[in-house]
Amino acid sequence: MRPARLWRLARGNLARELGALLVSAGGVALGIGCLVFFLAMGRGVRKVVGDVFPVSTREVEVVVPQVGIGSFLGEMKLDEALVARLRALPGVAAAYPRLALRIPAVTRYNGLFFGRELHMGLELVGSGVPADLVAGDARMPFADEGEGKPIPIVLNRRFLEIYNKVFAPQRGLPTLTDTMLVGFQFPVELGRSYVAGKTLPQAYETALVLVGFSDRAPLAGISLPLEAVRRINARFGQDTGSYTSVLLRAQDSQKVSSVAAAVKKMGLELDESERNRALQIGAAVELVTVALSLLATLITALAAVNIAQAFYAEVRERTREIGVMRAVGATRGDVASLLLVEAAATGIAGGVLGVLLAFTGGWAVDALARTALPDFPFKPQSFFVFRGVHILLGMGIAILAALSGAFFPARAAARLDPARALTAE
Amino acid sequence: MNGNVIELRGLQKSYPPREPGGARTELFRALDLEVGRGEFVAVEGQSGTGKSSLLHILGGLDREYAGEVKILGRDLRGLDDPELSALRHAQIGFVFQSFNLLSSLSALENVLLPDFFGDGVPDAHARASEALATVGLSDKASARPTALSGGERQRVAIARALVAKPPLLLADEPTGNLDARTGQGIIDLFQRLHREGMTLLVVTHEKRMSRAASRVLVLERGELAADPTLEGSA
Repeated sequence: MRPARLWRLARGNLARELGALLVSAGGVALGIGCLVFFLAMGRGVRKVVGDVFPVSTREVEVVVPQVGIGSFLGEMKLDEALVARLRALPGVAAAYPRLALRIPAVTRYNGLFFGRELHMGLELVGSGVPADLVAGDARMPFADEGEGKPIPIVLNRRFLEIYNKVFAPQRGLPTLTDTMLVGFQFPVELGRSYVAGKTLPQAYETALVLVGFSDRAPLAGISLPLEAVRRINARFGQDTGSYTSVLLRAQDSQKVSSVAAAVKKMGLELDESERNRALQIGAAVELVTVALSLLATLITALAAVNIAQAFYAEVRERTREIGVMRAVGATRGDVASLLLVEAAATGIAGGVLGVLLAFTGGWAVDALARTALPDFPFKPQSFFVFRGVHILLGMGIAILAALSGAFFPARAAARLDPARALTAE
Repeated sequence: MNGNVIELRGLQKSYPPREPGGARTELFRALDLEVGRGEFVAVEGQSGTGKSSLLHILGGLDREYAGEVKILGRDLRGLDDPELSALRHAQIGFVFQSFNLLSSLSALENVLLPDFFGDGVPDAHARASEALATVGLSDKASARPTALSGGERQRVAIARALVAKPPLLLADEPTGNLDARTGQGIIDLFQRLHREGMTLLVVTHEKRMSRAASRVLVLERGELAADPTLEGSA
């Protein structure tokens, strides 16, 4: 039977059995709606986790072990020679050494801050990073210009989010954008600590200027040019010959594990605390998404059972009709195809309804979240990321569920004895 | 192939016993029948003698029998399901006592039903309109079966059987559910088809139908015999 004719015949039957088929399609719609909804929600929540804990799949942070063989045989140092060896490891594309500011520093701000009076004293934690690590994110030159000049700094993007969502509302401060803050200059006292209540003899005052926001900058603290930190540490008599850590970028994500293994073989360690946290949260989200998706699949499977019952009833009701079709030349395959096309149409209707249901549900949850949930850091515009693949998957499962539900009834219909079918009551 | 449209040789059919240990119910003992091209054969018999079963076997709808059944020279035993379907589609028209129209389709679409299957029907729409005109229902083409009278439904069923222009028409009590006047219309139509060269085998209780046939057979106790009381008029 040609597809166009098959569809014409199926269409008439679908119109006649509209009520029953809508009930069947409704069951599929519920299952598919839940499936697409949960998949999109899982994707959306994972995106939020990614925003909070951005993890590069190509990078590892190398640190010196806290306690190790090196401690007894002589202190292991992340010096230039070791950085060069790390840079030369197979699979390593780049190595970015980081140097901690090894003296205390505070900032004290008294004055107007974007139109509001601000009086603030903060202990600063700083680390030096190579300019090329954050160069893409800095909107102004990120280079040390020497003593007496403001030192450029870069902040983590998440810092701004936390300021806007937590710090600013609690203190009546204005909400800021990165564009507003770039170029903002504030004083810093190097060699002084409010917490320890001490001031080093060489302490001096200078200025910091914010030049950009970057995901590569540590969340806790400010990132300064490596040369600036080296210069300040030297001025205070601190060690300038070793780095605090080295960020290694692999040539591709596949090579990260071999790079990590080589690093450990060198007696060094990987600082994976943030990465592990992100991975654990991501895995938890993944697990919940899979569990909810399985639940949705179960609902769809139940819908398939409902479709099977509906189509068995259809076959019983249409037995004589099937006999007539066989009498005028329909093959067993034609009869089965007709029922399967009707099932596929039911599945498509259920799938479309389900996808619409998921979108509507997502929209409703987002609307509720906008009004009912307080503003918190990284609160997304939407908790859902609907992707084409989710819709295709939903439609595919809807059709598959309908076809599997109708498979046995269709087979039973095809196997009906035409002579008996014609005399069925 | 000789000129016979239908050939039965030693046709036997029986049903399994209703109770364990019982005897099989024998429907046909060893039927022999030849129906030549252009014949109009009426088959009479009391209820339960197997008239409808005979039609189902001739149409390849029932394959549980012993013996040889040839339609237009083709042994039905040697045909698989698609071949049997193709034979029914192109060579055999069926008319049933209870019309058996599809309620979801209009009269015209019901007539077009064979066009949905196999290779379809050439010039299907023209032929369907022609078939509806033949049975006098051109004005009812778009009507649903529920909007038609019993006689009109049967005429739509006949138009459906004629649309593929099959050489053989098998009819099972075509006037059984119709009043006398409407039934006569069907008989007249069958006579006209007969005159146009179609081969008809009609199972009937209707004496007028039998009188219109060219040959009348009686199915009794599993055997076919010429009707001793009637001779076909055509």
